[in-house]
Amino acid sequence: MGIQTVKVVILKDGTVASRSKAFSGFEPTKAAEQAFEEALKNAKIPKKDVVQILATGSGMEMAPYANGTVSMMGADAKAGVFLFPSARTVIDIGAEEARAVKCDERGFMMDFVVNERCAAGAGTFIEAMARALEVKLEDMGPLSLKAERASPINASCVIFGESDVVTLIHRQESKPEIARAVFDAMADRVSSMVHRLGINPEVVLAGGVAKDVGFIESLKRNLGINLLIPEYPEYAGALGAALTAANRVKAAK
Amino acid sequence: MSLKTVSDALSLTISAGLVLAGILVIFIWIKDRTRKISYLRIFIQAVSLFAIFSTVLLLAQWNSLVLAVVILVLPIFVGRFFCGWICPFGFYLDLVSLVRKTFRIRYWILPEKVNVYLHKLRYVIAASVLATPFFFGPLDVKTWSSFLQFQGSFKPLIVYFLGPLEPLLIPWPGGIGFNGYSLSYPYIRGITIYWNDPLFSTIAVWAFLAVTVASSFMVRRFWCRFCPTGVSAAALNRFSFLKRIPIVHLNKSEEKCTKCGICKRACPVQVTEVYEQKGGDIATSMCMMCLRCVEMCPYEGCLKVNAAGKTIIKSRNWLEPSKSE
Amino acid sequence: MKSQGQERKYVPELPQKEAEELRNSAKTMSMKVMADNIQRMKKTAPNRPEAMQYFDDISNFFGQREKEIRAEKEKGKKVIGYFCTFAPIELILAADAIPVRVSSGFYDTSKLGDRIVPVEVCPVIRSTIGAKMVGLSPYLELSDAIISTLTCDGMTKLSEIMSDYKPILTMSPPRVKDSAQSLHLWSEEIKAVKAQIEEVTGNKITSKKLRAAIETMQKATKAFRRLQDLRKGNPVIMGRDAMLVNQTSMWDDIKRWTEKTEALCDELEKRVQQKAWACPPDTPRVLVTGTPMFWPDNWKVPTLIEEATPQGVLVADELCSSDRILYDPVGIDEWTMDDMLKGISERYLMASTCPCFTSKDGNEDRINWLLNKTKEFKVNGVIYYVVRGCMLYAMEYSRVKKALDRINIPVYYLDTEYTREDVGQLKTRVEAFLEMLTARVDF
Repeated sequence: MGIQTVKVVILKDGTVASRSKAFSGFEPTKAAEQAFEEALKNAKIPKKDVVQILATGSGMEMAPYANGTVSMMGADAKAGVFLFPSARTVIDIGAEEARAVKCDERGFMMDFVVNERCAAGAGTFIEAMARALEVKLEDMGPLSLKAERASPINASCVIFGESDVVTLIHRQESKPEIARAVFDAMADRVSSMVHRLGINPEVVLAGGVAKDVGFIESLKRNLGINLLIPEYPEYAGALGAALTAANRVKAAK
Repeated sequence: MSLKTVSDALSLTISAGLVLAGILVIFIWIKDRTRKISYLRIFIQAVSLFAIFSTVLLLAQWNSLVLAVVILVLPIFVGRFFCGWICPFGFYLDLVSLVRKTFRIRYWILPEKVNVYLHKLRYVIAASVLATPFFFGPLDVKTWSSFLQFQGSFKPLIVYFLGPLEPLLIPWPGGIGFNGYSLSYPYIRGITIYWNDPLFSTIAVWAFLAVTVASSFMVRRFWCRFCPTGVSAAALNRFSFLKRIPIVHLNKSEEKCTKCGICKRACPVQVTEVYEQKGGDIATSMCMMCLRCVEMCPYEGCLKVNAAGKTIIKSRNWLEPSKSE
Repeated sequence: MKSQGQERKYVPELPQKEAEELRNSAKTMSMKVMADNIQRMKKTAPNRPEAMQYFDDISNFFGQREKEIRAEKEKGKKVIGYFCTFAPIELILAADAIPVRVSSGFYDTSKLGDRIVPVEVCPVIRSTIGAKMVGLSPYLELSDAIISTLTCDGMTKLSEIMSDYKPILTMSPPRVKDSAQSLHLWSEEIKAVKAQIEEVTGNKITSKKLRAAIETMQKATKAFRRLQDLRKGNPVIMGRDAMLVNQTSMWDDIKRWTEKTEALCDELEKRVQQKAWACPPDTPRVLVTGTPMFWPDNWKVPTLIEEATPQGVLVADELCSSDRILYDPVGIDEWTMDDMLKGISERYLMASTCPCFTSKDGNEDRINWLLNKTKEFKVNGVIYYVVRGCMLYAMEYSRVKKALDRINIPVYYLDTEYTREDVGQLKTRVEAFLEMLTARVDF
């Protein structure tokens, strides 16, 4: 139950049967119900066959049908190791929150760090900057890849970041360079958070923001290591919750 | 030496012990955990005094050997345990302290540096005592054999080194005597043997008595801080490569200590290593193993007495205020 | 004592009406919070010990205890408040005065304090200033003098601000704990404050009275430790309940507190025999260390820990508002005035684990205390709790984390403020941490 979107993953026999998502909007519970119905339809599974449902994310208390909850960090860890068995650090960047988790080979989290206070290290930062540059959100990434260099901008706060971008526009810097500056700033915030945790290779990048090539490049540059990126990165949390649900069912037996 | 003498000695010691036990059983097992070991120690000191007295009295020709073993050999293994639990001289000084405590008079603390110098002074005293006969007697071939057998001018050496073991009453003439017995405050006979002038002896005896009693009144166990008799054990404790030999150790747990300082304040000879050292075996040549620090430490298992690796006594959480002074 | 006419150094004069309104709203809120907290504690542990009833009653700031202190004051007794646990309580008791800790735990008054000092300042300080501005805390109002130990910057300035309202008896602890000069300085401070206490109360501190006071506190320490020892095994009392008992010792009549705590321990021991645990024995055991948490509002983190899914239980803490208060006794060798004063000054200085110190020998007292407690109480995880603005605790975090990493205990840094709004965020983190601990416990 993300702040911006609700994601649902259905697991069957240890593999992903289907996924779906919907915008949370003003009524996240309704959106979740919708997404759930859609996922069931896609997987062609009747509702009564679903044995265990776990909810995660900041809105997990509002999830419909859920048997229980699991923390986002725990879910991320499970998902990371499921998708990439060699993963030991998972960075999940959502719309409003960024998290990093350290885990062991079984997917148990060993340490975590959360940054939900600073939006400058999360997805809405890109949205805000895209608005300032008058660029479409999905174009920000490819645009920034065109840049060779970028001026640093103050990313201690989204508010200041926005005014910094305006300054760069007035300085007549090119759009690709500004776009890249935005991603570099975000990568800076995220990497300082991750460094507080400590990095254990391999590192998985998940969350909606992981779809953005511009950010991926900036973060790779900043951390200096390779990042493993799953095919559907924004579903990592939901996948992790599903895996935890499966584990609990197995443990109960 | 006959079997009868030995049995007499033993029976005397035992009966004396029982008498004292009768008196002290009222005090010893009181609920005051901060006094238990101290009372036990006074009891054992009294018993050892009687034991020594009977040995001296009844096994005259063996006393030197026995006492030499007790003083010189035993401390190698148990540290200055002798000083805290057996030495009669120490017992007298403790009694003097008890008198002071009853009158609620505050004791004096010697400044750290003074204490340390006094402690080193005892090597000087010991050396000069050992050297004195060489300067006072004729030096010839017999001198060395005399030295080794403590004969002739070296006889007083025994008195110096075994001095502290002198019980108050000895069955032969000494400084101040009556009826064939003498009042022999430790070390006094050494002085009187060297200088046989009666007036000098009497003055010297009383002076020595006064000084040691008075000083130990205000400074706890004053003499013990520079007593030359404690030399043998001292040397071993000090050097780390010799630390293996003593089997009885005072051990401190680094984690449990909260540096409250009670051990340092309670120590009668002002040993600071027990407080300052972080953990492990406390290596100090001043500690008399009187275990006052272990008694007074309020944290469970922080200070321990280990013998050959096993813990005999450890500090307890006493937290019940004393019921008697 | 400042006379009414003189102008205050820091705090502007609040109009009477405004002060009244603020006090009433803060008081209502506090009473609601106190009742609410107790309600929640009762809900978490349905078979809460009966002996806790006494502590619930005493914990009410505006209730029985306030009346008692007022009655004593009318008989002529003096009340001496203090901010830090460095204040020598034995001396206060020996002078026939009533010791109360007046550090404020009210969230609402910290906004008032914002008017006087910047927002970055420790919220405990801001809250205390605010409480004094509107006269909210009954104990603070009833104090005849306050002993203020100048341990940190905030405290130093707070004592200045407070000096406008009450006579402040300052004590400066040295920053280096274990040099010869430090102990000498502190001993002199103790002697000086003794003279000042005698002046304020008008009673002479004799060695007989001091001995009685020390023995009272030793008995209190005994009861205190007995309670903490009972938390070493399976959880027989929830952490918040034990914390409440610990905190009430700061303002309650110490002799009565000792009796009631012993009664509570008797009841708990019976439960241990019956194996009537307050929560399942495999609940993750948490230790909290850091800046002090004061009743009533600052119950946030313990509440989160013990009401989270999965549930955790607070088994121990290293807080000067809880498990550190009465932990160390004053040990006396010979009951002379000199030895007693020396014992008091050494206990309050040397045994402290406050990060306001450093020491020549590596300053490991706090680390050792934490390691010891972690092992004795079989702690699964440590929450390092810091209020924003506290440099000292925040800076020691890396050191503590390193030491605990070495023995493989997870530590989580939690920083918060005197505000109720961040409960949601804290909940996420605490629950994730507890989930992590549960997984470790299972394996």
